[in-house]
Amino acid sequence: MNRVIGDLVLGVRLAVGGSRKSWTRLALQGLGIGLGVAVLLFAASLPSVLDARQDRHNARNAVSEGTGPAPLLAESQSHPFRSEYVRGTYLRAMSPDAPVPQGIAKVPGDGEVFVSPALADLLATPAGTELLKPRFPQKVVGTISQAGLLNPRELLFFAGDARIQPNEHGNTVYGWGIAHEGGGMDPLLWLLSIVGIVVLLFPVLVFVGVATRLAAAQRDRRLAALRLVGASASRVRLIASGEALAGALAGLVVGFGLFYAVRPSLDRISISELSAFPSDVMPTTALTLTVVVAVPVLAVVTSLVAMRRTIIEPLGVVRDQKPVRRRVWWRLVPVVAGIALLVSQAGKIGETDGRPNQWPVVLGIVLLMLGIPVLLPWLVERVVFLMRGRTPALQLAVRRLQLDSGTAARVVGGVAVVLAGTVTLQMLLAGVEQEVRADEKKQANFNYLTINPGTDSDVNAIAAALKSSKGVTVVHRIDQAFGTLDSGGHIAINIASCEALAAQGPVPNCTDGKAYVVPYGDGQPTAQAGDVLTLRHSGEKWTVPSSLETTQATFPGLVLTPAAAKGLVAFNSQYIAKLDPSVPDAAEHARNALTVARPWQVFTYFVGQDDTAEAERVFGVIRRALLAGTLLTLLVAAASLLVVALEQVRERRRPLAVLAASGVPRGTLARSLLWQNALPLAISTVVSLATGIGLGVLVMRVFGAEVAYDWAGLGLITAIVVGLTFAVTALTLPSLRRATGALGLRTE
Amino acid sequence: MNTPGVYMMCIVAPMSIGHALLGLLEGGPRHGYDLKRAYDERFGQDRPLHYGQVYSTLSRLLKNGFVTDAGVEAGDGPERKRYAITDAGVTDVERWLSTPEKPEPYLQNTLYAKVVLALLSGRSAADVLDTQRSAHLDTMRELTRRKSDGDLADQLICDFALFHLEADLRWLELTAARIDQLAVEVNR
Amino acid sequence: MTLLRAEGLSKSFGKTQALDGAGISIRAGEVVAVMGPSGSGKSTLLHCIAGILPPDSGTVHYRDQDLTAMNDSTRSELRRTEFGFVFQFGQLVPELTCLENVALPLRLSGMKRKDAERAATDWLARLEVEDVAGQRPGETSGGQGQRVAVARALVTAPKVIFADEPTGALDSLNGERVMHLLTTAARETGAAVVLVTHEARVAAYSDREVVVRDGRSRDVEFAR
Ligand SMILES: Nc1ncnc2c1ncn2[C@@H]1O[C@H](COP(=O)(O)OP(=O)(O)OP(=O)(O)O)[C@@H](O)[C@H]1O
Ligand SMILES: [Mg+2]
Repeated sequence: MNRVIGDLVLGVRLAVGGSRKSWTRLALQGLGIGLGVAVLLFAASLPSVLDARQDRHNARNAVSEGTGPAPLLAESQSHPFRSEYVRGTYLRAMSPDAPVPQGIAKVPGDGEVFVSPALADLLATPAGTELLKPRFPQKVVGTISQAGLLNPRELLFFAGDARIQPNEHGNTVYGWGIAHEGGGMDPLLWLLSIVGIVVLLFPVLVFVGVATRLAAAQRDRRLAALRLVGASASRVRLIASGEALAGALAGLVVGFGLFYAVRPSLDRISISELSAFPSDVMPTTALTLTVVVAVPVLAVVTSLVAMRRTIIEPLGVVRDQKPVRRRVWWRLVPVVAGIALLVSQAGKIGETDGRPNQWPVVLGIVLLMLGIPVLLPWLVERVVFLMRGRTPALQLAVRRLQLDSGTAARVVGGVAVVLAGTVTLQMLLAGVEQEVRADEKKQANFNYLTINPGTDSDVNAIAAALKSSKGVTVVHRIDQAFGTLDSGGHIAINIASCEALAAQGPVPNCTDGKAYVVPYGDGQPTAQAGDVLTLRHSGEKWTVPSSLETTQATFPGLVLTPAAAKGLVAFNSQYIAKLDPSVPDAAEHARNALTVARPWQVFTYFVGQDDTAEAERVFGVIRRALLAGTLLTLLVAAASLLVVALEQVRERRRPLAVLAASGVPRGTLARSLLWQNALPLAISTVVSLATGIGLGVLVMRVFGAEVAYDWAGLGLITAIVVGLTFAVTALTLPSLRRATGALGLRTE
Repeated sequence: MNTPGVYMMCIVAPMSIGHALLGLLEGGPRHGYDLKRAYDERFGQDRPLHYGQVYSTLSRLLKNGFVTDAGVEAGDGPERKRYAITDAGVTDVERWLSTPEKPEPYLQNTLYAKVVLALLSGRSAADVLDTQRSAHLDTMRELTRRKSDGDLADQLICDFALFHLEADLRWLELTAARIDQLAVEVNR
Repeated sequence: MTLLRAEGLSKSFGKTQALDGAGISIRAGEVVAVMGPSGSGKSTLLHCIAGILPPDSGTVHYRDQDLTAMNDSTRSELRRTEFGFVFQFGQLVPELTCLENVALPLRLSGMKRKDAERAATDWLARLEVEDVAGQRPGETSGGQGQRVAVARALVTAPKVIFADEPTGALDSLNGERVMHLLTTAARETGAAVVLVTHEARVAAYSDREVVVRDGRSRDVEFAR
């Protein structure tokens, strides 16, 4: 036992060693593993974040039934503002002991409002002051604290309004906080998050492995020397484990440091759904323990697996022998299995309702990702062996890689996974974006606001206010009713003038007196000419006109021009305000005009060119985050490549010096370094782009989504990789210069 | 006194005792007993000179005109006679030092005497070594040529000679490397 | 005909004066041994006259060109085309096979791979190491490796071969064999050899010797 500990300690001592080089190596390892640990800790905090969110979400639910007169009345309402939603509740306390919602000090009195910090910020902006403030004429009496918010950037308000009357659809509140039977996450979203987490976390694990092997060549030689001197295989393994442990422990320290350093700034993430309260970001104990145990274990295991050859044939490492050829078949297994699983699931999600079978998908993705670092060393070896090197520089590089492609391949293996993951995410993002943009395009021809006043609002006042609002050109009125078919199905009836219809979509040859039927998208039964409908609100019968045309207007159901709707009494009215596209924010002006009505009684819906800058911003932020992550991993990988390259220059000092002495131009030697860095990076980039795109296509097929390519993103990644290759080579040049001076000829 | 010592003496003495004594006289006139002591100290080690040898050599040198009488020191005994080196003697020492020894085995004593005397007399010991090396190398070149043209027997014979000559030169190099140290010791 | 002539070479490294007015002259086709005690400046002299190291003062003339006045790339070019080098050890590129190592100088001067390798094979055969052609230097013995290095130095048909302790890491038999092959090949191709060594048996392969001591050289020819 003492021997075991002694050997481990010897390994740690070798790792820390005291020399500057070993400290550099330890620092790089620590940084690499530390980055991974930090990401893992954030992932481990996800459950707590979601739990805390869910708790606060539940705390918001009103208990609407109780005994006696309700102490509180509440009407929830969202105010759309540009492309955001300001959610909130109008409250009226009916008794002094009215239950106070989480996050505020008291129930706001009439004309008072509590706003969330993000809403306060928004209202303080010039646009907010001009375009949103009119909808919040109340006096701000406080801000909503963390206890009332789902995330730090949530736009939320609680306003007091004495005009609220108790009504039959249950605006009574007896208390707050009740767990609702959650419908669960949208299966699609759920899968997407799993893909995201797998794609994000897997490279982290690979990376931890790679970081452990940073600058391992020198270490291998040292251990091989120990082995040649007579250390037994198991002792060498222990010593190697000790070295790996030192790196892993350094990584854990760095990782926790990074985690606590970054945590406080999480509430500044500008996309509200992604932001979180720092105090919520707390890794769960179980997961933290897993990280603390798994990272060192992973480090030791990777290091031992990679040391296999050194331990079996130590002489090969010392004498630079040609390594044994790698075998391919088992390396192909994960890739093939992964693709098979994904293909088998392609398109299935649309068919089955309910939650799809996600395990094959997740497993497929994991296998495919695992396949990259497993397959890459073999691939690099094969490619390099097929190359012969047309120029001396290329020949030098190729031969070097043939001798030891493993080190470089391992380094770029980690990068490849990250790149592949990024590419996949970029593609998914591009797909979502494409859909969003397509919607926007469809809506770009239109520019109107629909207004649904509540039943007891003053419709005329609303119409008048709308008409005088800035940027509103025409206000159409659409009357609505519901009918029951003989078959028992329901059908919506809209009564609108031809102009009103034209505002929503093309209705060819519309004249007053025509009647249209618009089929429901899901194949529900529609009315036919001559059908007799029972009107729901009045119970009267009404016969569908015989001249019924089928069309594709906006509203599904029956669409009648006023003359065709004779005898039909509408139950409800809706306004369509056509907006002047040349007036900016006309929709916001119109919404502000609606304050003549009680704010919780009017619902608006904007159809038209949305504020695309907002979409741009959201996608921009996500893309930048992805890019930053990619850049970070690429940088660490580049640092590892640099270590490898520097070590090789140092190792080959004499031959390099002799070559330079014999008149080999330094340029040739520099180019050979460039090739030596570029080849593995190029191969891994190609592989990861291919895998990323392939995975993206497969996953999107699984979701039944349209495939989109983010060429700009791919180009950017490629450019970064090329740039890093040059940077690494450039950084190696000073040491090459030193080695090739006449001093390099002197024996050490 | 052991037998090999006597044997060596016989080979070496006629060739170098005279020059050694001459070299020692270069530092200034001395009487015979002094010369013997100086010689034994520097070159005698386990085979000191007989008085007889000293005086017979000195009388030979006197006869050849390389040394002269430099008067008698106050005291008694014939050994009180002092000798001094002549110009002819100095020239003879010079010639002797600049002439390489014929490369052959067992010439350390002569070479050593040459080096020490060169140092004692303020001449360049390195020159002595370089001259000797040059001569050795010439012989070795000849042997090397013979070796590459000859058959196996030739090769073996040549190699034998080559290795011995090399040993001489090795010793020379070592001496050269220690020359500074030697200079300090010799001139103490 | 004097091919290479250096005069008044001085070179110091910090406080160490490695060369102090050394000179040497090499005639075409002759084999010159540079001898002298360790640390006397032999290697430094070799590096200076081969244009690897610029001297602090003094001149080096190769034919009628002044090496000390050339820029780095011109000197590189000269070394590549006119000179060959053999060192004590570790000069072969470990990842290239022996054949490729020998072919490398030819390929660097733009020769086609096939032609270069054919010429390299010839030279390996002349130095009796054709059977290690496909092996890496790490897989050969020291003596074989040194012969490969000699082949690489000779393959470009240089005018001067600079050898710094070429047999330093070999036993006598191998050392002599390498020297024999080196000098024979040099004589056949008419190349001059500057041979730094402290071994007399190795120096015996030379035509004459130059002794370096304390950074000063004694070149008998030069003095004349
Ligand atoms: N790059 C250098 N930096 C510092 N000192 C140096 C350098 N190169 C040579 N020297 C010094 O210059 C002197 C001559 O060195 P040089 O290598 O030329 O000797 P050498 O004759 O080749 O010795 P050896 O037979 O041991 O190889 C030595 O004292 C050495 O320490
Ligand atoms: Mg040297």
